[in-house]
Amino acid sequence: MSDRRASSARAITWAARRALPSLLSVALALTVCFVAIGISRADFSVAAEAFQQMTWGGLGDFPGFFRDRSWALLTRPWGESTTKAALLVFTGLSVSVAFCVGLFNIGAQGQMTLGAITAAVLGAYLPLPRGIHPFACVIGAAVAGSAYALLPTFLKLWRGVHEVISTIMLNWIAVSLVENWLVVGPLRASASGDLSRSGTQEILSSAELPRLLGGLSRLNAGFPLAVAAVLVVWLWLSRSGNGFEVRAVGLGSEAARTAGIAVHRRTYQAMAIAGALAGVAGGVWVLGTEHKFPATLGSPYGFDGIAIALIGQNHPLGVGAAALFFGILRAGGTRMQLLGVHKSFPELIQGLALLFVAGKMIWERLLIRSQRRAMPSAEAPRA
Amino acid sequence: MLAVDDVTAEFGPGEIVALVGENGAGKSTLMNILSGLYQPSSGEILIDGEKVRFRDPGDAIARGIGMVHQHFMLVPTLTVAENVVLGREPRRLGFFDVRAALASVEATTRRFGFALHPDARIEDLTVGSQQKVEIVKVLYRGARVLILDEPTAVLTPQESEDLFAVMRQLAAAGHTLILISHKLREVLSVAARIYVMRRGRLVAQVKAAETSSEQLATLMVGQSQPAGAGSPRRASPGDAVLEADGLEALGSSGLPALRGVSLRVRAGEMVGVAGVDGNGQHELAEVVTGLRPFQTGSLKLMGKPVEVASPGTVRRMGVAYVPEDRFQRAIIAPMQVEENIALGRQRQPPFARGAWIDFGGRRSRAVSLLESFDVRPPDPEAPIGELSGGNQQKVVLARELDVAPKLLVVVQPTRGLDVSAVNAVHQRLRQERERGAGVLLISLDLEEVLTLSDRLYAIYEGRITGELARDEFDENRVGQMMMGTRSDRAPRGAADV
Repeated sequence: MSDRRASSARAITWAARRALPSLLSVALALTVCFVAIGISRADFSVAAEAFQQMTWGGLGDFPGFFRDRSWALLTRPWGESTTKAALLVFTGLSVSVAFCVGLFNIGAQGQMTLGAITAAVLGAYLPLPRGIHPFACVIGAAVAGSAYALLPTFLKLWRGVHEVISTIMLNWIAVSLVENWLVVGPLRASASGDLSRSGTQEILSSAELPRLLGGLSRLNAGFPLAVAAVLVVWLWLSRSGNGFEVRAVGLGSEAARTAGIAVHRRTYQAMAIAGALAGVAGGVWVLGTEHKFPATLGSPYGFDGIAIALIGQNHPLGVGAAALFFGILRAGGTRMQLLGVHKSFPELIQGLALLFVAGKMIWERLLIRSQRRAMPSAEAPRA
Repeated sequence: MLAVDDVTAEFGPGEIVALVGENGAGKSTLMNILSGLYQPSSGEILIDGEKVRFRDPGDAIARGIGMVHQHFMLVPTLTVAENVVLGREPRRLGFFDVRAALASVEATTRRFGFALHPDARIEDLTVGSQQKVEIVKVLYRGARVLILDEPTAVLTPQESEDLFAVMRQLAAAGHTLILISHKLREVLSVAARIYVMRRGRLVAQVKAAETSSEQLATLMVGQSQPAGAGSPRRASPGDAVLEADGLEALGSSGLPALRGVSLRVRAGEMVGVAGVDGNGQHELAEVVTGLRPFQTGSLKLMGKPVEVASPGTVRRMGVAYVPEDRFQRAIIAPMQVEENIALGRQRQPPFARGAWIDFGGRRSRAVSLLESFDVRPPDPEAPIGELSGGNQQKVVLARELDVAPKLLVVVQPTRGLDVSAVNAVHQRLRQERERGAGVLLISLDLEEVLTLSDRLYAIYEGRITGELARDEFDENRVGQMMMGTRSDRAPRGAADV
C-alpha cells in the first residue's frame, strides 16, 4: 500500500516537474507583454486595464454579470474561448501525436485546410438526417486530413524525404488547391446566383454542430468533442499496448524494430491519427462556427498547434490545458481592442511563451551538462 | 565518495608497471590524476624527486607524462602526421607546415621503429596501427611516462604481441610505461611489477614472476573467484536450432558483408564466433535475428526454413537477442526500466491484458526480474538510461532470458562491464546452455569466446575461416584463422554436424 502511495507521489512530482517550465514560461511571457503594453502606452494603468479586459473577455464578464444579472455576459466569452480552444486542442494534439512517433508535423495547417473543405462540401451537398450529418462531415474531414498526412509519411519511409520539408510544401499545395482554386472556382457559392458572397455554399442546417447554449453563446459541440479527444489520445498513448508501441518507435526506433515492433506500420498509424485530428479541427471550424469555407482559413491554427504542443510539453493533458489557456487569452484579446491595444497581443504572448519553453529546454540541457562535468569528483569512478 | 584513497605508488625509468583492478576500483581516476585531468584533494606527485602540481593535461605533458586513451582520439579523415601534430602543429609564417610535420613525425616513428607511414589516412589503418599512432602522438609531445589504458581491448592476439614488443622497446629506451588492464594473462607477460587496486586502495604490489592470474584475480575481487573455465558441458547437444548455409548479405554500406557463411548451433550448446571487428559478425547477428535480409543461402531456425525474416517473426520462433549496441538496439533510454522489460512482449501477459497495458502484472514481473538479476537500484520506474552500463545489460539479459529462448544470440555481452558483472553475465549464459538453449556467442574478446564456447568458428571478411571443437582450442591457431590464414583443415561447415 505504502508502495503505491510512494509511486503516486512520484508521479505527482514528475508531473509538476514536467509542467513547471511551461508554467514559468507562460508567466514570464505575460509579464513581458504587460511591461510592453505599459511602456508603449507610457501608462501602466492601461496595461492593467487591458489585462483585466482580457480576463473578462476570456473567462466571462463577471463584474458586468453581477451588475446586470445577464447570463449572456458570461456565456458569450465562454463561447468564444471554447471555440478557439477546441481548434487549438485538435491541431495541438495533431502535432504532439506526430511528435510521439518521432515526426515533426508542420503540415497540420494543410491537413486542417483539407478537412475544412471536405466538411464544407459534405455539409452543403450531402443530404443526411440531422443526427447523422455532422458525424459524417467530421469523419470525412478526419479522413481527408489523414490522407494528406499519410502522403509525407510515405515519402519519408519510402524515400527518406524529411517530413518538415514535405509537410511545409504540402501546406502550400493545400492553400493553392483549396483557397486559390476550389473556393474561388468550382465550389464558389456565387456560382449558384449570389455574387456578393465569398466562400463556398453554406452548409445545410442539418450539418451544423449543435450550439449547446442555444442563442446565448457560440459554444458548440466541438468543445466537448475536443475534451473527449484529449482523453482518448491520453488513454491511447499511456494505457494501451498500441500506444506503448508508438511511443517506443518515437523514442528509440531501432530498439523498437529489434524488439519486433512494426515500426513502419506504427509510424503510418500515428501520422494518420495526427492528420485526422488536424482534419477534424478544420471540420469543427466549418461545422461549428463558419458554416461554410470562407475565402481563406484566416487564423493559422495549424501552426499554432506546434506552439500548443510544445507549451503543453507534448502530453495530451498538457496540450488540452495549453489550448484552453490560449483559447481564453485569444477570446479576451478581442476585448483589449476597446483600449486601443492590438488584439494580436495574445498571439505575442503565445509566441513568447513558446520561445521561453524552448529556451528553458536549452537551459535545462546546459544545467545537466554542467552537473555531469562536475560529476567525476563527486561520483564513483569508472575504471 | 573517495575514488582513490591514500595511494602511494612508484614508477621507475625503463620499467613496465601494470595497474589492475575491477571497474570502479579507481585505476582510471588515479591515472587521470597523474595525467592532470583531475586534481587530488590531498597528496602529492613527485617527478625526479621534485614536487609538481598539474592544473590540466597540458601541465602533465609538459612534465613528460602522456596518456594513451582506450578510445582512440583520432580524426579518421586526417593523415597520421596530421593527427600526431594536432594541437601542436609546426608553423611557418603562421600557416600549418605540412613538410615539417611529416619530417618530425617520420623521425619519431623511425627512432622507435614503428612501421607507420606518416601520410597514410587514419581511416585506412588497422586498429593496431591506429593504436601506434596514439602512442606516437604522446611520444611526439615528449612523454617519458606513458600511461596505456586498456590498450589491447580492440586488438587481435598478434597485434597485441606487436604492441608488447613496442612497449618493451620503449622501456629499453628508458621510458616508463604504466599499463592499465584487466586481461591478467597479458599483464603477467609484459609487466615486471603489478599494482592491484580495490575500492580506491592499493591492496597489493607483486612481481609478475612471483604471481599467477588466479592470485591476481583473488586480490582484485577480494575473494576467491568461482571456477569459470572448463564448465561442464552437456553430454550431447540436441537438435539444431540454427542452421545457416552459404549465407550472403550486404552490409549497411551496400557492400557484401557476408560471403557465404555456413554454421550450426544445436540446442544445449554454446557456439562462439571469433573475429576482429568489422569482419561480418555484426551482419551475421542481424541476419539471424531478422534485422537484415540475406541475398542468397538458406537459414533454418528450429529446423524450419526462414524465407523472409522479420524481427517479430524470428522472436516468435523462440529467438532472443542481446545486441552489441545496447543504446541503439537493446534499450530505449528515456523509458522506464519496467517499460524496457516489457519491450517486445508489450502485447502479451503479464505485460498486457487485451489491448491495454497491465500495469500491475508488469510491475510484479519487473520487480521479480530485477531482484533475480540483482539489478541496482532495483527501481522499475527509473528511466533505464540512468542505470550504469552493467545494470542496463542485466536488465536486457533479464528481458531476453525471461522468454526461455530456444536460440540466444549474444553479441559482445560483456563489453565495458566490470569483473563481477562479467561473471554474472557469463553465469547466466552457461545456465541458458544447461537449460537447453542454443547460444550463439559473437564476441571480439577472444578470451571470452575461448572460455565459454563448446565450439567456435572464426570469421574473416565475411567468411568462416575455421571451426574448432573445445579440445582443439588454441589461441594462436584461432588468431591465425581470425586473420584469414587458412587453418590446416578446411572448415567443416555443416556437413558433419
